[in-house]
Amino acid sequence: MVTIDLSTVSVRDGNEAMRAAAERGEDIEILNPDARHHIGVGLVAPVKVKIKGSAGYFCAGLSHGAHFEVESNVGWGAGDSMYAGSLVVGGNASAIPGVALRGGEVVVKGNIGSRAGQVMKAGTLLACGNASFLAGYLMYGGRMIILGNSGIRVGEDMSSGAIFVGGKVESLGSDAKQVEPTAEDLAEIDAFLKKYGIEFSGTFKKIVNAGTKLRYGAAEPVARPLPHTVFSEGGIYWNTKTVDDIRTKSKIGRYRIRGYGTAKPVPHFSDIALKLDPARIVAGDPTKSVNLAMKLGGRFGAKPLSLSMPVLIAPMSYGALSKSTKIALARASKLSGIVENTGEGGMLPEQRAEAAQLIFQCLSGRLGWNIHDMLKADALEIYISQGAKPGLGGQLMAKKVTKELAAIRGIPEGIDLRSPSRHPDILGADDLVIKIEELREATSYTKPISMKMGAGRVRDDIKIAYKDGFDFVQLDGLQGSTGAASAEVIENVGIPTMAALAEALEGLSEIDCKGDMPIVLMGGIKDGVDAVKALALGASAVAMGTAALIAGGCISCMQCHVGNCVVGIATQDPEHEKRYKIDRQAEAIHRYLEAVRWQIASLTQALGHSDFRQLTRDDLVALTPEAAEITGLPYDPSYRGLDAGFKTKVA
Amino acid sequence: MEGSTDMCGIAGVFFKKPDANHVLGRTLVDMLDGCQHRGPDSTGFALYEDDIQGLRLRFLVEASDEAAVKRIRQALSDHGAAITRESCEGATFVVDVSYSGEIRPFAYAMEHAAKLVSIGSHLDIIKDVGSSHHLDDVYHIGGINGTHGIGHVRLATESDVKPESAHPFWATGFSDVAIVHNGQITNYWKMRRRLEARGFEFRTDNDSELIAVYIADKLSQGVKLEDALAESVDDLDGTFSFLISTKDGIGFAKDRLAAKPMVMYEDDGLVAIASEEVSLNRLFPGRALSTTEPAPGTFRTWSR
Repeated sequence: MVTIDLSTVSVRDGNEAMRAAAERGEDIEILNPDARHHIGVGLVAPVKVKIKGSAGYFCAGLSHGAHFEVESNVGWGAGDSMYAGSLVVGGNASAIPGVALRGGEVVVKGNIGSRAGQVMKAGTLLACGNASFLAGYLMYGGRMIILGNSGIRVGEDMSSGAIFVGGKVESLGSDAKQVEPTAEDLAEIDAFLKKYGIEFSGTFKKIVNAGTKLRYGAAEPVARPLPHTVFSEGGIYWNTKTVDDIRTKSKIGRYRIRGYGTAKPVPHFSDIALKLDPARIVAGDPTKSVNLAMKLGGRFGAKPLSLSMPVLIAPMSYGALSKSTKIALARASKLSGIVENTGEGGMLPEQRAEAAQLIFQCLSGRLGWNIHDMLKADALEIYISQGAKPGLGGQLMAKKVTKELAAIRGIPEGIDLRSPSRHPDILGADDLVIKIEELREATSYTKPISMKMGAGRVRDDIKIAYKDGFDFVQLDGLQGSTGAASAEVIENVGIPTMAALAEALEGLSEIDCKGDMPIVLMGGIKDGVDAVKALALGASAVAMGTAALIAGGCISCMQCHVGNCVVGIATQDPEHEKRYKIDRQAEAIHRYLEAVRWQIASLTQALGHSDFRQLTRDDLVALTPEAAEITGLPYDPSYRGLDAGFKTKVA
Repeated sequence: MEGSTDMCGIAGVFFKKPDANHVLGRTLVDMLDGCQHRGPDSTGFALYEDDIQGLRLRFLVEASDEAAVKRIRQALSDHGAAITRESCEGATFVVDVSYSGEIRPFAYAMEHAAKLVSIGSHLDIIKDVGSSHHLDDVYHIGGINGTHGIGHVRLATESDVKPESAHPFWATGFSDVAIVHNGQITNYWKMRRRLEARGFEFRTDNDSELIAVYIADKLSQGVKLEDALAESVDDLDGTFSFLISTKDGIGFAKDRLAAKPMVMYEDDGLVAIASEEVSLNRLFPGRALSTTEPAPGTFRTWSR
């Protein structure tokens, strides 16, 4: 047995010592925990850990197989995302005990705080005392047992699993109903209580999902899709798109859902021109003479990502996209020496194997989020929001929620999945600090931690991201695409990508931190020309999602949400996915990325630089008053031409 | 539209009887150090002290700003307040005065002379940029004796972190009332306009100042603190966990969403409340404390 005294060593050193002891198979005793946070986070060995006192936030979080015993109380998020093992708490548990539980057993002898078991997927959470409000909120599976009373709205928007309450139920949540427990239920509970030596002689009420909200009521009629290229054309008022929209809504009586990004014209990088000097364009391969390589994410000593050019693959989920597409993107990223991103919904083993570098995203629903894949990732990313739908959670329509996909995410098969709009444990910048620290503790401070952020209140949000200590930010503007969201939100919520970058840079310079925290810009970055303009404005790198998909065969029909993608990209249907040839599309995406590399290099060179970091605002002019207003660049319409991106000044 | 809001940690302590083991200042320095991760930029204390003679006024004035000191002395003399003690500490200028007139007009007049942090016959608010330990070094808070107090650590997102945007907030115009608050009041402007229409002045757009004035106004009308807190839970929209202190004691209120944490410990000698248990454990190192979390939408007070 190893004894660790937290009055003499830091939690960080204590956790390292615990891991070393666990590797040797030794049990652990923690003295003077004094309610410190992150005790035992990321422990993945079947050892016993005795904590002599109270523990703070995320005790035993992201652990697998260890058996924790806390003498007194625990703070927020006890047993967060635990996979297996147990946590027994002698006193009370604060808010969200058993959050995102994926297995194992959390036993609290006292009372439990609000939102217990939020987004839990499996395992058992037991409270011997009372539960506060919203117990089992957004629960996807597993079992919760409350021997005492439960507060209001128990089982709110749960989609599966069961909640057993021995005492009074103050009120049921939305889409929850009370049923009679079966004899089997009661026998299992009895066995569970006996195992932990807990006496209980009362009766139980069982609360389960009522099934009224798992699927959208009226389905959208299948119509011949308008491709995005047509959809985004402006001009007349009562065009095909408007008429189609009105007709559909008259049938379904609600908002429509579609894939892709905004289709309305907004100020973008095409409204900016490069002040190119054609005389500087020289023969030869610019990718050989211009330095495009960079490191990303080493602000706090983690091992940074290594990029051969300032381009990343934007986060897109296995779920929205087929496994084949994710494999092709991963392979293309490796061939081009850049970075792939898991998006929401977990890491595929094949994707991990193909990608040389992979960012692993943590979202509100904690779908597929686990310690093992965190350790395999090259960087971790906390998704707060995205450009296509700032402030809203992901959507994945039932057709795509297949058995395999549901298993990796830990959710019921065949529901219209609406991910929560908020993280259970990030309700403010103060909570976020503690969450980031949990991820760092769990991975021994080796991985860069980034934030994915949609363009809402960028000026404020970027300051919070900086203050909370992210290694970098992925900033996504209004033009960012998605696999499924309400069309109204896609079109209208958020600010354009270029404006988002301008606000972010202003925000950082207001706190004298411009240049300290890299910004990766995305949302409608079409090619290397857009990339160069973004870099010159002050982005550290750009990310491409839609462009990479189109390079890999996407036909822009905007029906990503339906699940019947004819080219096998946005589908989970094996018959459709068969049409997607991984080898061919990976090569195609790679070729496109190399064309982007060429563009960035040759334009950087033609602007008189030998390194993309030398690009500055002085290399740019605004072609429209709007772009000038947004960016503060000089308005110079004399640079306008048929192809504004490339045209040099009209003499 | 909301008033400006901060991300932070809060702490408070109330001694039911003199406690040989815990000095007020040291207690709050330790508790705030315990939750400094929630707000590294600035720290503040509202201390209810034993040895203030008359009224204490603390202004945010740099020692070098002689003009401001002159203005303060003039304003005090204009209102018949005689200085019994004055000193410069850190970024502040402190005076103890003998004054027996009405507080609100006096306070507003002093505010126009310089940035006033607090007025009280017991209350002294000390707040500045920096950590709990840094403030202790500059203002020697650890040695201050008293009966109760509250404190705050703040994470700032404005360009220039200034002492005046640190908490606690004084209920502008009322003596001996202070607040620390974690959360965001969403009906800020509606409530502020109501109070402004009745002649109250606000020094900041911070929603914490609003709560302090809102409560202090009720107290001045003879409402008991407990009843004022009960009304606050209904009247305030948004997320909040706040601690309020008066000459006689402290109280808390917590919103119905419980989005902001609060934990308390109580025994025969004291009650301690904080955002996180880690702060409470600073008072009793190595002990497994029996703590409770106030239920959503509840409030409570302690007074002597």
